[in-house]
Amino acid sequence: MKNTDYSRRLVWLTLVVCLGAVSLGLIPSFELFGMTIPKVDMLSSLRDEARGEDVVEYEADIARLEEELAALASPVEEAVDTMPEPLPVRYEWIIEAEEEVEHVALRSLDVRPEGVVVPIEDFDTLAFTRYQRLIERLAAGEDVRIAFMGDSFVEGDILTCDLRDALQSLVGGRGVGFVACDIPFATVRKSVKRSSSGWTAYSVMKPKSTPEALRDRFFISGYIADGGVGATTCWETTSQYATLEGCTRGRVLLYSRDTSRVEVVVNDTLRQEFEIAGDGSVREIYVEMPMSSLRLRVLDGSVLCYGASLEGGRGVMVDNYSVRSNNGHAIFGTGATVNRQIDEMLGYDLVVLQYGLNIMQQGQRGYSRYRDQLRDMIAYAERCFPDAAILVMGVSDRWVKGDSGSYEPIGSVDALTSYQRAAADSTKVAFWNTSQAMEALGGMPAFVSNGWAAKDYTHINFAGGKRVAGALVMALRQSLYDYLVVCEAEAARREEEARKREAEARQREVEAQQRLEEQINGIRPMLDSVDIGVDGVLSKVEE
Amino acid sequence: MGEYFSFDGGVWQRVVAMLDYDATSPLTLTTGFFLFAFLIFGMGYMVVRGRATLRTLYVVLFSLYFYYKLSGIYILLLLGVAFSDFLIGRGVARRREQGRGTRGLVALSITINVAILVYFKATDFFVGLINDLYGSGTLDWESVVVPAGVSFFVFQSIAYVVDISRGVIQPLRNIFSYIFLLSFFPKMFLGPLVKAKDFIPQIEASRPELSRDDFGRAVALITGGLVKYGVIAKAVGMLFVAPAFGGELGDGGLVALLAIYGFTLQIYCDFSGYSDIAQGIALLMGFRLPDNFNAPYHSATITEFWRRWHISLSTWLKEYLYISLGGNRHGAFRTYLNLIITMFLGGLWHGVGMTFIAWGLLHGVALALHKMWLRFVPRAKAVGSDMHPVSRIFATLLTFNLVAFGWLLFTAEDMTVVEDMLSRIAYNFSFAEFDALVKGSGAALIIMAVGYIMHALPRKVDCGVVRGISRIGFVGQALLLVVAIWMVMQCDALLAVECGAGGGLPMYAAF
Repeated sequence: MKNTDYSRRLVWLTLVVCLGAVSLGLIPSFELFGMTIPKVDMLSSLRDEARGEDVVEYEADIARLEEELAALASPVEEAVDTMPEPLPVRYEWIIEAEEEVEHVALRSLDVRPEGVVVPIEDFDTLAFTRYQRLIERLAAGEDVRIAFMGDSFVEGDILTCDLRDALQSLVGGRGVGFVACDIPFATVRKSVKRSSSGWTAYSVMKPKSTPEALRDRFFISGYIADGGVGATTCWETTSQYATLEGCTRGRVLLYSRDTSRVEVVVNDTLRQEFEIAGDGSVREIYVEMPMSSLRLRVLDGSVLCYGASLEGGRGVMVDNYSVRSNNGHAIFGTGATVNRQIDEMLGYDLVVLQYGLNIMQQGQRGYSRYRDQLRDMIAYAERCFPDAAILVMGVSDRWVKGDSGSYEPIGSVDALTSYQRAAADSTKVAFWNTSQAMEALGGMPAFVSNGWAAKDYTHINFAGGKRVAGALVMALRQSLYDYLVVCEAEAARREEEARKREAEARQREVEAQQRLEEQINGIRPMLDSVDIGVDGVLSKVEE
Repeated sequence: MGEYFSFDGGVWQRVVAMLDYDATSPLTLTTGFFLFAFLIFGMGYMVVRGRATLRTLYVVLFSLYFYYKLSGIYILLLLGVAFSDFLIGRGVARRREQGRGTRGLVALSITINVAILVYFKATDFFVGLINDLYGSGTLDWESVVVPAGVSFFVFQSIAYVVDISRGVIQPLRNIFSYIFLLSFFPKMFLGPLVKAKDFIPQIEASRPELSRDDFGRAVALITGGLVKYGVIAKAVGMLFVAPAFGGELGDGGLVALLAIYGFTLQIYCDFSGYSDIAQGIALLMGFRLPDNFNAPYHSATITEFWRRWHISLSTWLKEYLYISLGGNRHGAFRTYLNLIITMFLGGLWHGVGMTFIAWGLLHGVALALHKMWLRFVPRAKAVGSDMHPVSRIFATLLTFNLVAFGWLLFTAEDMTVVEDMLSRIAYNFSFAEFDALVKGSGAALIIMAVGYIMHALPRKVDCGVVRGISRIGFVGQALLLVVAIWMVMQCDALLAVECGAGGGLPMYAAF
């Protein structure tokens, strides 16, 4: 055979294959044996939507977390006599206010759920679960604090403001809860008025533009503000709901690397200065007096501030921790130590994880990677908030524009929901099916036509949030109701038992009395004869 | 159409950013980026291919860039190894000429290379061990990132120095030729390992030769490789093997057994597919890389298996480890021991852990037992082609299941997984699962069946297909490649929908 040199063909072949591969993108998606064969795009990485500039995806490092928390639990052992005086963790400013703390203990009648209820599924099979403890605390009217972690779905206090109002109306408690000090973009929040200036705010979603020293200092709130002299923030209550007013406690969460001085002004009139000791741990400025506004100002040095909480009364606090475009992984970028320290101050009883909108892809049915990530998120949250129950919220309903131009279901809500439920199941935490609850209200089309959701068929608005919150409250009421019915039945049973025991005791007493009398009657003739005998002897003696 | 070809203003910025190393998307032979880069490379290659020195320099530069895109800063490690062994090789040759001993220099080269391997492969294990023993935090150590292909260039570098000391080859005079030998981009990531003796003449040849049959064979290798690597291995692995091992398909014995067979196919298709692509691309440029696989599951004995599986590595282990240990020159017992030691170290090389050690020992012991069998049973045969057809089928099935059991050890995270899978097969096996399995994972099982049928075809069929591809002409060949690329991309898209993740690196990249 003639040995022609074919090596020139290398370039031609590669060129034609390149052109061919690029033109594959011109083949539209089509159906084959009932399967959709999608369009492929060789040039996708050149297109805009393929890349997010600064946003990173965090990965779970549970081992590191354990180490960090272990170090926190057992500080470096030193000889006692050389230990320096411990630095104050809490700076208090208390003006005795006569506050009537109403104590609400619920009865099953108060919480009987109405309408269609999508119940909360508690996957913890142990007898005394964290979720059960939460319900018991709620029912007994004890202080309960909820960290509601989510994405843009609850941004601006959508959903959570109604959840808070409903729970506070039910079991007591006042105030908006935690509000960040400053965040790097503008937001609107009707449940609180916040004005700030002089801070540089950083987001956990953008670690590359966050200074190295602050990267492991994020709290689950997702934002930290760095302020020098003059930096100031004022948190003011609003009257959106009656429960937002009448606050009596303010707590500012911050820390200072070197000693610094700040002032706190309450209601624009009362003023107090604090010297914050320089240390890496989170500090709390605790103010107790009636207040409608709380202002923090840096007087000297520099301060890193997370935010402040406005609260009052006894009952429920709901803190909204929404971080835009977060699918939940940002929790791995928060500092375990910071989370644990703040938990020790605020004491969380429930952490809600509301995520998933940002990872849902049209038609995608497998989310095993996300499920594994979610398991890690749950593990992370459980370790940072050791006393809190975890509630995973399933992804909300979402519709997208189809080829015909009209909206159709995204087709992956049920799949993602089942993976989220699986994550909750395998980690033994609670789960609530958000999309099912939304469907019971008519689904996304009804939300849009009723003006409860944006026209993107993805984001609900305040009106929609109110409905979803209502459904969630119903689910909680169902849990409370179930618990209280059992408790009341138990109490009734015990009362009945006690009554029975009392009756029995009385009966026994009567019987004993009778027995005694019978015995006495039995020996009476003998006594009588003894009596006679004695009388005879006596009379003889007399004689 | 206009919309498809229009880009926003940031496109150039993205192109420039793409040229730089990105740890999250290392360059492999199956990326779109490589296709376009290879086109640009090919244009220059056409010009320089007739001039040996210029060609060497050109290919070396592209190979180094390829390695940079694959491993970033570790390009310095590659260059370091190249320089050190290039110099040591010359030193060894000079001492040989002078009739002096070369052991010291060879030992130096081996020490350097083995130290590199041990550092990258075992540090994490030892740090973990110490922290387990003395409490976490005793050693504060970021885990080590293993540079891509480090084992491959380190092994080849050791072989080069040893070959010089054995007088098999003369040292290279030009450092670029040596970097070429180590870093030639198609084989950079996953081999095959080349022998200096075979490859140096190709580097120094005046002009690479490529016949029509060679060209057809190259296209066939790349097409087949893409289907094996990008479709069969990925689909079977992600749709069936991973969920089955993860317990998502229940705890039945049938699932466990099929998962092991699935992994057996997956690791073969993944690794040999990528090797075939490498071989094909090298052949398009006129370079002949050795065969790395030869229908390994056709083997009728374990000895035959190691002549058909990862051939370049098993040859390397034989020539530089087994023979250095004494091979079969010190009596039967030492031969068995050497086999076991060789495979034990081979297992350890894959990863420091119980499962890999067990895998290595399994193969070592099996090889030794087979050697013994050959010695004491007069009619025993070393390979299947010498056997009676019936005993060959029986022996092939036995070998296949032994190898599959080995893969279970190989892929299991720890021994409890092995135990669990085996107890499922032993105590929870029922064919009743089959219906549910077909309903849930039918597509994956069909792909798995197709993969095994393709593998079972006799070699004659393979040769016929290659001949056919050589004759379908240029357009047909180009079309074949485009269709293969389309299938791989469709598979990626499908897996993204079904499993939430597609693509990814070859499995063997971890080693």
